[in-house]
Amino acid sequence: MPETLLKVRNLNAWYGESYILHDLNLDVHRGEVVTLLGRNGSGKTTTLKTIMGMLKLHTGSVTFAGQDMLKLSSDEVARSGIALCPEERGIFASLSVEENLLLPPVLQAGGMTSDEIYQLFPILKERAASQGTHLSGGEQQMLAIARILRTGATLLLLDEPTEGLAPVIIEQIGSILSEIKKRGFTVLLVEQNFYFASSIADRHYVMEEGHVIDEIKNTELEQNTEKLKNYLGI
Amino acid sequence: MAELLGMPPQLFFGQLLLGLINGAFYAMLSLGLAIIFGMLQIVNFAHGATYMVGAFGAWMLMNYLGIGFWPALILTPLIVALLGVILERLVLKHLYNLDHLYGMLATFGLALIIEGLFRQAYGISGLPYEIPTQLQGGTNLGFMFLPNYRAFVVLISIILCFGTWYLIERTKMGMYLRATTENRELVRAFGIKVPRLVTATFALGVGLAAFAGVMAAPIYQVNPLMGNNLIIVIFAVVVIGGMGSILGATLAGYLVGLVEGLTKAYYPEASSTVVFILMIIVLIVRPSGLFGKEQ
Amino acid sequence: MHLKSLAGATLASLLTCTTALATSISDDKVVIGMPSDFSGIYADLTGKGSAIAAQMAIDEFGGKVLGKPIELLTGDHHLKADVAVGITREWLDRKGLDVVVDIAASSAALAVTKLMTERGKITINNAAGTTRLTGKDCSALSFHWAYDTFALANGVAKAMTLEGNDTWFFITADYAFGYSMEADAKQVIEANGGKVIGSVRHPLSGSDFSSYLLQAQASGAKVIGAANAGSDLRNTIKQAKEFGITSSGQKLTGMIFFIDDARAIGVKEAAGLSVLVGYYWNRNDESRAFAKRFEEKANKKPNTIHAGVYSATRHYLRAIESAGTDDGPTVAEHMRKLKIDDFFALNGFIREDGRMVHDMFLVKIKPAKEAESDWDVFEVVRTLPGNEAYRPLSESECALVKN
Repeated sequence: MPETLLKVRNLNAWYGESYILHDLNLDVHRGEVVTLLGRNGSGKTTTLKTIMGMLKLHTGSVTFAGQDMLKLSSDEVARSGIALCPEERGIFASLSVEENLLLPPVLQAGGMTSDEIYQLFPILKERAASQGTHLSGGEQQMLAIARILRTGATLLLLDEPTEGLAPVIIEQIGSILSEIKKRGFTVLLVEQNFYFASSIADRHYVMEEGHVIDEIKNTELEQNTEKLKNYLGI
Repeated sequence: MAELLGMPPQLFFGQLLLGLINGAFYAMLSLGLAIIFGMLQIVNFAHGATYMVGAFGAWMLMNYLGIGFWPALILTPLIVALLGVILERLVLKHLYNLDHLYGMLATFGLALIIEGLFRQAYGISGLPYEIPTQLQGGTNLGFMFLPNYRAFVVLISIILCFGTWYLIERTKMGMYLRATTENRELVRAFGIKVPRLVTATFALGVGLAAFAGVMAAPIYQVNPLMGNNLIIVIFAVVVIGGMGSILGATLAGYLVGLVEGLTKAYYPEASSTVVFILMIIVLIVRPSGLFGKEQ
Repeated sequence: MHLKSLAGATLASLLTCTTALATSISDDKVVIGMPSDFSGIYADLTGKGSAIAAQMAIDEFGGKVLGKPIELLTGDHHLKADVAVGITREWLDRKGLDVVVDIAASSAALAVTKLMTERGKITINNAAGTTRLTGKDCSALSFHWAYDTFALANGVAKAMTLEGNDTWFFITADYAFGYSMEADAKQVIEANGGKVIGSVRHPLSGSDFSSYLLQAQASGAKVIGAANAGSDLRNTIKQAKEFGITSSGQKLTGMIFFIDDARAIGVKEAAGLSVLVGYYWNRNDESRAFAKRFEEKANKKPNTIHAGVYSATRHYLRAIESAGTDDGPTVAEHMRKLKIDDFFALNGFIREDGRMVHDMFLVKIKPAKEAESDWDVFEVVRTLPGNEAYRPLSESECALVKN
């Protein structure tokens, strides 16, 4: 059994008055790609933000590499080795592509170098000087993933990297994620696209209304397809 | 010689140059205001008071400690920036997650308190501050007599604005600033100590205002209300340039100076309102200001 | 309007007379009110200093007149006429107000004076400059004590025009005071053979005057007259020097310039300027003695307004003593009859229109090296007898004056 890198226990979280996460439990082992599947509004993004220290109202515990994350601010969480690729990509309009890439500081050893990143994403090198938001949606998504590979983070939180992208681009993102996995990154992926998720993930958690309602191994996916389709409403 | 736009050319060029000089002050002040707004999302009504404190700082250094203009030009902004750090940590930091209105009210209140204290201590008439000896006198340009100190003001203002532009557009610190302005939460989630950055930015903004205050001390009154008279114009300048746009704030500062200068020549009664007319026109044509980004 | 207020005053006086006979001092105290500027641009010129000066006069009477205590009320009117009237009405209705002194800002002074007259009470204007107070808006119960715009313009403009400075350009504040100052000065200049060749009007409370100065310079006028006040005037003077205007031979003069202004810009910047004042602390032993007592309390030297408030308050209290009552019309009569006798009102007397005519002083700012102290800024050039300084009664628009 590989080491449990991220351990979430009885996590409850609130956005102001509204109670979003209910007694959440999940584990991510080192080197794994784990997805959070679920419909819109089921609490997936909130889970990532809470782990990242971006929400303030919560109970329960989040342990990363043996360290309690919940009492830390988001910059301290980042320095512990977790990096976020946010929903809608979060590319900065006032920064060039290169600046976007270099914005997240290197916090630990072990991250990829700029050269390695450019090798993986040649398009970013070509367009290094253009304004970040002038890239196409797919290119922006690549940039959003690329920039958190430098920092030395070991756990990547990816929030719907395929949203709004054409199938051919989704395929590219998929192969990039496989490459990332090969390099030893651990990934917690939020997805609605279950086909995409099944192509790269080891395990899936299914969320509904702030609860984890099921956990399915990728190897057991076939026998659970109907159930999963039912969960996701597809 | 023929007239230029209905006035003798000497007078015309003179007015343009004077406009540029005033624009230099507008630019220095609107710059700091724009930086603070961009980063803290706070409409800093205390900016005028900070400018006033800068001028008084120079006066106090001179009168209590015998420290002259040149050291004061460095020391005062540093001291005021330090006070800004305390203020930001004690008061403003609690306002970031609230509506803009709270920031406006809090800084407006601060401005009243600061101005009140200075008024209590130094009265309302103002205090004299001499032009540094090296910069006394002036040069006859043919069309007008340009006091050396005013030329120095324009020069320094251009250097300062360029330096700030460089800091923000070309350095790593500036990159962090721009990114934080856009999405503070995400930048913090990248591991950057945003609160510290915000404090530093506020210190930079108030430091710039204090610097402008020291520059103003020898030519305007060192007066508790000097910033009060200016702050509304500076807001208009920032709006014309586009909220949060550094380049916009700077260029709009010079632009407003020039427009105001010409108004003083053609229809002086309107010179204190022309900036607002300009603002309204800009808002009609480009609602986000000359250099602002469309929301 | 005018008749109505007079009628009101008469009626009110009839009513108060009956009670006055019984008690002689209404409410068993004499209440002096001072609605003035305690926080705005004129706060240094009037404000706390005026309150201190009035209190000095009260203290001289041991705080009592005709055996009854004297009370001083102060209120900040924020340079707004309606606020000034509100404060005054409140004092009249609840505090037994008997007289108002000082009142900064002409608009507030006119409004308060009207209210006081309607209630049969005395007003002694001091800080406000407008000649309307003794012209169109004069009343039997109101007085104008320290100076007015006509005297200031007259004192400076006449002297300069007669010296051969016969072409003028005005830099004028764009509001009632500026217009009245410029008009009064123009009248004097033209009467003495000079000419006004141009003027420019600037918004109130500006900080940059170089544009106007450049226009004044281009006009080629021998004198630039600054018909503005306070910080506007100080900046005008300072910048005229900075832009080399005064050193190129053109003269600059302000009209309403106080010792506080000279201190604020520094004597070096203001050197050579001539102005008219009603009081200068370092003129003689008596004026110095008053300044010394004032400085102990106020921590600065008194200006014309402060000294005027002292003189006015003192004269009012003396008139009560002489009248044996605090009834407005009766005291006003005694104020007119009684000889004014203090260091401020030299050869002073009260005219039919309420003007307290007294000698004024044409002063020049001393060169910095001749100044013995911070406050040693003026040099008295000439004493202008009251009759020469103030607008002659023959030109009066006051209904009380029978021409």
